[in-house]
Amino acid sequence: MVYQSIYGGIPLVKTLVCYACDMDYRRVENWQDRPELIKLKDLPDPPKELYFSGKWDPELFKNCVAVVGSRRMTEYGRRVIEKIIPRLVFEKKVVVSGFMYGVDQYAHQVCLENGGKTIAVLGWGISQPLTGTDRKLAEAIVARGGLLLSEWNDQQPTLWTFPVRNRIIVALSDEVIVIEATAKSGSLITAKIAQKLKRKLWAVPGPITSPTSVGTNELIATGTAGMWLGDQPQAQKPSSDPLLRLLTSDALTPNEIARTLHQPVSEIGAQLSLLALAGTLVEQAGKYTLNHAHQS
Amino acid sequence: MLTKVSAIANVGLETVGVDVEVDVASVGFPGFTIVGLASKAIEEARERVKTALINSGFDFPPKKITVNLAPADLPKDSAAYDMPIAVGILLSSGQLPSIDLTKYFFYGELSLDGSLRPTRGILLLALYAQKQSKMTIFVPAPSAAEATVVSEIRVIPVKTVKELFNHLSGGKMIPPLKHVPVDDDLDTPSVDFDLSEIAGQEQAKRALIIAAAGGHNVLMWGPPGTGKTMLARALPGILPPLSSREALEVTRIYSISGLLSPGKALVKRRSFRAPHHGVSAAGLIGGGTNPLPGEVSLAHLGVLFLDEMPEFPRSVLESLRQPMEDGVVEIVRVSGHVKYPASFTLIAAINPCPCGYLGHPRRECKCTEKQIVKYHHRISGPILDRIDLSVPVAAVEVEKLSLTAPKSRGTLTSKQAKEAVMKTRKIQEKRFADLPIYTNSQMRNREVKKYARLTPEAENFLKLAADKYDLSARSYFRMIKVARTIADLTGTRDIGPVHMAEALQYKQRL
Repeated sequence: MVYQSIYGGIPLVKTLVCYACDMDYRRVENWQDRPELIKLKDLPDPPKELYFSGKWDPELFKNCVAVVGSRRMTEYGRRVIEKIIPRLVFEKKVVVSGFMYGVDQYAHQVCLENGGKTIAVLGWGISQPLTGTDRKLAEAIVARGGLLLSEWNDQQPTLWTFPVRNRIIVALSDEVIVIEATAKSGSLITAKIAQKLKRKLWAVPGPITSPTSVGTNELIATGTAGMWLGDQPQAQKPSSDPLLRLLTSDALTPNEIARTLHQPVSEIGAQLSLLALAGTLVEQAGKYTLNHAHQS
Repeated sequence: MLTKVSAIANVGLETVGVDVEVDVASVGFPGFTIVGLASKAIEEARERVKTALINSGFDFPPKKITVNLAPADLPKDSAAYDMPIAVGILLSSGQLPSIDLTKYFFYGELSLDGSLRPTRGILLLALYAQKQSKMTIFVPAPSAAEATVVSEIRVIPVKTVKELFNHLSGGKMIPPLKHVPVDDDLDTPSVDFDLSEIAGQEQAKRALIIAAAGGHNVLMWGPPGTGKTMLARALPGILPPLSSREALEVTRIYSISGLLSPGKALVKRRSFRAPHHGVSAAGLIGGGTNPLPGEVSLAHLGVLFLDEMPEFPRSVLESLRQPMEDGVVEIVRVSGHVKYPASFTLIAAINPCPCGYLGHPRRECKCTEKQIVKYHHRISGPILDRIDLSVPVAAVEVEKLSLTAPKSRGTLTSKQAKEAVMKTRKIQEKRFADLPIYTNSQMRNREVKKYARLTPEAENFLKLAADKYDLSARSYFRMIKVARTIADLTGTRDIGPVHMAEALQYKQRL
């Protein structure tokens, strides 16, 4: 991986320091020319300007997944997040969300706890001071190599700013997962945008008795969104890894694998655990083989 | 005339001083009575002492002889009071000139010909005498070597009563035994099996090294004849050598059990105990009217190997819970309760099914689904919860065993493994310097949180694993402990995802 210099070559127009929050922020000069932001151009109404806090790393935008949902998160929503975010982090995805309390913030938080990177797209101007837990979370996002993004400099948060920022969340991501949504949730606006931008849309099914799942269940029922069931099949690339090649046609014990590959069994064991957890391999009675269910 | 002779009684591993009071009355009907809660073995001392004295050429006084073992309310069970009683009779009947006995201990069983027989618990007597300062102990010559490891006492090895008489009456003296200092640098004698002798089973060997390094218990899982017993027997060879303090601790247990071979001073190697599955609960954890140490105590600081674990009666297995948790067993009987140390590494071997061939590459399993489930259910959750590592030991292809096959490269020897283990133990020693624990396996959740720091990636991995394999809270902590040891083996401070991933290899599959 190529590491960019600290501001990724973005020229500084002026150093804007917000004294209330003292979180440094900068403008992305000519964002339209930056290849990593090309996805934003899918929008019929792309943002005029873009501001950010944190360390700009073009790699961040390569593999984004939006995780959005209701502000009124239920226990179910909380547990769904705790289940899916670790897997996304494990797959080296960057979680994009809206930094609003509820599902958004919890998604950011769980992502950080699992050692992942996350992008928060704010529903207000970047210079607005943050306090309390918001402030702490924002600092943690930046400290772990993530970003705070906004299209405004000093816009106050108001009713219309939130739906508007949703289009950026969607545009940046390849996939959008809706955790929980009421019948009139803002997340449904997000879903609509995802549909328009042809992003893969997922919704997490919920109990039909729960008002916070009405929106998501509706998305599934109408066929707008795919049903997210936790372990999503992944496309498998023909591998150059000798270990995977060894296991394409054979079920072997760790001992046999270690012997064939002339590697210590401790390292082979660790690799096998990682691959089994990723769903690439399956283990049966002490023998490992390629997971063919995932290949199709 | 009344004589007081000092001896001891061992209650478990605790030693209590016993006064053997012998009175030979000048009046009264001839007789021989022993009082003071004496067991059958002590009652029979009357016949042994009488015959031994007569056969050694002494007079047995035809008078009223009374022996009291004080304290009178402490139950005593040992044939070792023969010697103090004999000495008491010789003195009281005036055959021996009266001497000062206050600095002497007498302890040992008599044979009818007047010679002394090997006796249990000599080391405990020596340690007790050491505390009294400037003591001389008279012990049977065959068992006297045990006492030589104790400093600041005189050990007189007695072969026969006649010899003892000569010594006490100022005739021919018996030379005391030389004190043998215990060095920390105990030479470890050869072990049963070297790791490099075992074909294949790399993962099981790795598990043994982790177990030895972090004090974890291991469950080996596989068809018969794949080397589970051999592997278990190789474990003592990779455990660090006993320190002098530990060696003494183990020797005490063997001394009280009468399992020290005559002439042997100290147990220097880590014990390997493999009780058969017919063992009773008392045999396993200790018991008897006057409780003796069981297999778990004999395996103290060593290895307890339970082959075919599900074949052990469930009640017997359940009795392992306390020693596995606390490292000691408490045995309660009518005669009182005793505590024996029992901190061991458990190696359990189980077959995959009752017939043993489930998943075997060439042989067919004949068990029904129901039988298999029932077989596995014989081991209770609480026991499994205390086993950190579980490793499959699959059937080895015959080609790998052939003697002509080139040796696989980089085969680890027990010596190399032991060095790695000792290094890892040093790290743990430092880590737990202020705590009453020694190994990673002994960490409680509080210590796990404090000493087993995970990198965020490792935590991410663990959470996913917990979700995918439905790990319980306890197995979650168990995995962290194993990962801690794996990280220690490489000398890493924080636990990384690689360590966590390897630890997941050893999760339970039952």
